[in-house]
Amino acid sequence: MERNEIKDRVLKVIAEVLDTEASLIGEDDNFVFDLGADSMQSLQLVAGFEEEFGIEMDEDKALEVQTVGSAVDFIAQYV
Amino acid sequence: MEYRKLKESEISSLESQGCYCADWASVMVSGPFQAANIHQVRFEGSVKLAAIDGMLATAGEAPTAAGLHACHIRDCDIRGPVYFSRLGRLQGYTVERDVRIENVDSLVVEGPTTFGNGVEIELLNEGGGREVPLFGRLSAQVAYLLASYRHEPEMINKLKGLIRDYCRSKESQTGLIGQGAGIRDVQAARNVHFGPHSRVSGALLLEEGTIASCAEDPAVVGEGVIARHFIILSGAHVGSGAILDKCLVGQGARIGKQLSAENSAFFANCEGFHSEAVSLFAGPYTVTHHRSSLLIAGMFSFFNAGSGTNQSNHMYKLGPLHQGWVERGCKTGSFSYMLWPCRVGAFSVVMDKHAANFDTADFPFSYITVEDGRSVLTPAMNLFTVGTKRDSEKWPRRDRRKDPDKLDLIHFDLFSPYITAKMIRSSEILQKLLEESPREQKYVLYKGASILRLMLKACRKYYQIALRKYFGEQLIKRLESRAPQGLADLRLALQPGETGAGEWADMAGMFAPVSVVRVVVESLKQGRIGSVEALRARLKAVFDNYNEYAWAWCAHALERETGIAIAAATKEQLLGLAEDWKTNTLKLNNMILKDAEKEFGQNSRIGFGADGDEETKETDFSMVRGDYENNEFVRTLLAENEATEQKATNWAAKLEQLFATP
Repeated sequence: MERNEIKDRVLKVIAEVLDTEASLIGEDDNFVFDLGADSMQSLQLVAGFEEEFGIEMDEDKALEVQTVGSAVDFIAQYV
Repeated sequence: MEYRKLKESEISSLESQGCYCADWASVMVSGPFQAANIHQVRFEGSVKLAAIDGMLATAGEAPTAAGLHACHIRDCDIRGPVYFSRLGRLQGYTVERDVRIENVDSLVVEGPTTFGNGVEIELLNEGGGREVPLFGRLSAQVAYLLASYRHEPEMINKLKGLIRDYCRSKESQTGLIGQGAGIRDVQAARNVHFGPHSRVSGALLLEEGTIASCAEDPAVVGEGVIARHFIILSGAHVGSGAILDKCLVGQGARIGKQLSAENSAFFANCEGFHSEAVSLFAGPYTVTHHRSSLLIAGMFSFFNAGSGTNQSNHMYKLGPLHQGWVERGCKTGSFSYMLWPCRVGAFSVVMDKHAANFDTADFPFSYITVEDGRSVLTPAMNLFTVGTKRDSEKWPRRDRRKDPDKLDLIHFDLFSPYITAKMIRSSEILQKLLEESPREQKYVLYKGASILRLMLKACRKYYQIALRKYFGEQLIKRLESRAPQGLADLRLALQPGETGAGEWADMAGMFAPVSVVRVVVESLKQGRIGSVEALRARLKAVFDNYNEYAWAWCAHALERETGIAIAAATKEQLLGLAEDWKTNTLKLNNMILKDAEKEFGQNSRIGFGADGDEETKETDFSMVRGDYENNEFVRTLLAENEATEQKATNWAAKLEQLFATP
């Protein structure tokens, strides 16, 4: 899967979980500090990515991902 | 002790020192009586005085010469050297040696009284139906049976009968002030038993109560306390303006700072400050510290109430009938509100104001929040938070009880058969909900709470991590305790019993197989348990056998879940379990470490660095909070990870060796 496609789908999940506009999200945005994700939303994002891409990510490794761009790269390893 | 009448010379001495008695013949003395140590004392009724001389040996007090000064003593038996000064009225007491009483208006027994024993308190349900009689040997487990086993009326009747027997044995016309007790600056006490070495200082009013105490763990009642109908156990501290009516304060508990409580029981190591408690079953380690918190009509244990925590239990219908059941290890966020009836699964966090009557008992380690007015359950979320890990480790360290006779039986395990069975059940429920819910559906409903459909799979996965950790952990614990020397020995060590394989209960701090509890209940019903002490011994036996029962449960559950019959397991299966334990322990710990890392993130630095730039902020933060790498919790957890890896490697080698040794 192309990186751009992964990125678009990642943005879609983030927008849904964090109730925001995909167009407002940047690759460098930090989930917690910039996008305001709380602990539960962080888990919802992991669950959302897994469902969106039909993958199962390593739980503790997934929680190490801090920015949108690194989430795209992390998911790229699984798809 | 042999007593004699006072000699004329002794009476003369006493009278010359301002003492008075209408009939000196009613004052009997024994031993080397020293009239010189008695001044301005008015004797009334029958008074016995043992030797009032020598020095008092009271722990924590300067040595004081025995003596009676400015007192009014009526119908008392003083059995050794004591020091009384400015005691307005002492009536109806047996006083043991080394007792010190100063500046007290009145200590009076107007018998017959049971000293608070037998007073029924309305736990859990203000409307009644779950009354528990207070008595000096009331443990959390006995209270649990009394309050929650109302479906066993015959057992309740028998148990109450045993308690009545105990209370009758305490009924008396006279009270006791036990050896080494110290009472000072007290306004009034009526029908109060003061246990040995108890310390009462500054209390306003004490009425119909028992202060049990012992040399190893004195009970302390402090300033401004008003208490009626109470039992205060050894090591408990009640102080600073607490107001208690019909309450038990358990061993090592701390009550004060103007807490007001009625019809409530605070068991071992509870802390109640500032707040209000009504019909509260505060199992061991229940903590409420904030002024605006009310705990009412609920069963709690290992609970921490956030400020402004509140519940309501009547809904203006048939009265205050509803009850809440908050399983062990829960916390509430600031200004959380729960509408009773409601049941919260163990180790969960409740935030926000809930208007739904939910039951999340099947989902331990959850977050329960409110979204758009609905109660939202996020199962397993609290499995990997710093708070859960820290709490589970701090409780055993904070057991304040020094009394060798500990009443409450407390198991501290985070993962027990009771909790783990819930995680197996919750995994099944989540799987079923997942299969039944279309992708378009945002929430699924379960017993009054909503779960985000998106989270069903993930939460199930988190429970599975904990389950795999538990099974491996129990295996290694078993191997460590049995230290098998060869394969035959190993098979024997891993052989589980049958008792404990079924359902488990958390009896207000003690985990026990339900089948075993039923045997105790049947024994009570059939009169085979003849006293409260015999019941305590039975419960203690159940408590002590926990590891065997837990292993039976673990082995049977493992077989149900994985098909591995542990006593006949192959080497590869055992190695797999140990490896699984290592992997999942590290995974869980790493997730907790990620949670800890947030404490050092940008959000945690908000408000640091007054009047300065970014560098000031960093420095200020680092001076106050330290850094992640050097944080004690983080370092301990990292060390635990290392130890886990090492232990797994060692056990893999040991298992290889055991399988090679017949």
